[in-house]
Amino acid sequence: MNLSFSGKTALFCGGNCELALALAPLVIAEGIRPVLSCRSEAAREHIVQCLNEYSGAFDTCFMDFDSPSSLTAAFSALDNNLDYLVDFVQGDYENLVAAADPDKTGRYMAAHVAARADMLKRAARIMMHRRFGRLVFVSSAAAGRPNPGQGFYAAAKLAAEAMYKNLALELGSKGLSTVTLRPGYVEAGRGKPYIEKNREALLRQIPSRSFVSTHDLASTLLFLLSDQARHLNATEITMDGGLSAGKQRL
Amino acid sequence: MTTPLLNRIITVLSDILDLDPATITADSYLIRDLNAESIDLLEIAVTLNSEFKTDIDDDAIFLKNLRIYLNEAGESQDDKRAYLAEKYPFLDQARIRDMVADLEAGPVLKVRDLASYIQARVADHE
Repeated sequence: MNLSFSGKTALFCGGNCELALALAPLVIAEGIRPVLSCRSEAAREHIVQCLNEYSGAFDTCFMDFDSPSSLTAAFSALDNNLDYLVDFVQGDYENLVAAADPDKTGRYMAAHVAARADMLKRAARIMMHRRFGRLVFVSSAAAGRPNPGQGFYAAAKLAAEAMYKNLALELGSKGLSTVTLRPGYVEAGRGKPYIEKNREALLRQIPSRSFVSTHDLASTLLFLLSDQARHLNATEITMDGGLSAGKQRL
Repeated sequence: MTTPLLNRIITVLSDILDLDPATITADSYLIRDLNAESIDLLEIAVTLNSEFKTDIDDDAIFLKNLRIYLNEAGESQDDKRAYLAEKYPFLDQARIRDMVADLEAGPVLKVRDLASYIQARVADHE
């Protein structure tokens, strides 16, 4: 299938993660210029190194949800050019709800809910002025089926999903559409060590008997950005090989 | 009140609200007369931001916290006017007096209030 893309510029929030770095070459091949956000100079160097062969076809910017003022500089640098947004940002905060430190919880929610809302406001205002915007939120199957210790992770993901969904409801008439992807076990990032440790037991739980690869996920994200996926709007799609569809297998 | 700035704002409003610009004046009420809804206000803010190259504080330009400020202010009319003047420095005394007297009739936001806000923002940048 030939995919088409109406836009030219994409912002990847959390652009130094493995998935963003896998998606970047795919969008570049489609004529889209990705701007990959990161939180440190070391992360920026990592992006530049990983995308070395695409030099000149992408940009980086500094954006830190823990530092909302960084959003102003990042969006100013975009100069009102923004057609796509892919949101990979998710800090790690595993804790039992009844054991969590309230201050830490507050900071986590401030970064992942309040700062994300600020980021979405800025992106949406650029996009509605351009009468086009496609936003993809990379959530997690854990948003709907968290493990013990993932309560705050799931709460932040669900809050973000709600914001993305409402953006589509509120600004659909202005050309914006959004979709949330909930991957299951992905052999990348923080999930990788967990998968390596529990590989066989996890595979028995997944009807497709396979984990989601970085390439599979990046390709799916590319499709979700395309014009052909525009009717997948204001909704969540689970990509977990069927893991969450049935009861847990013993 | 007819100024180039006001005319630019009226052009923006007529485009977004799909109205004949001749029917919009400085004294038109955005919500009561022009039937602007929340989504329209958002688009107006985004377009004014682009048109005048200045950041727009939606809460301020659309007087969204007016009722909250009135509750926070003292009981007397003088207290209310003084408090609103502090919160909305871009509005002059005469306009604030009119607004306080007009509250019973519904949302008081007028086209001239947008012009006052933009004028103050542009002056800040100069």
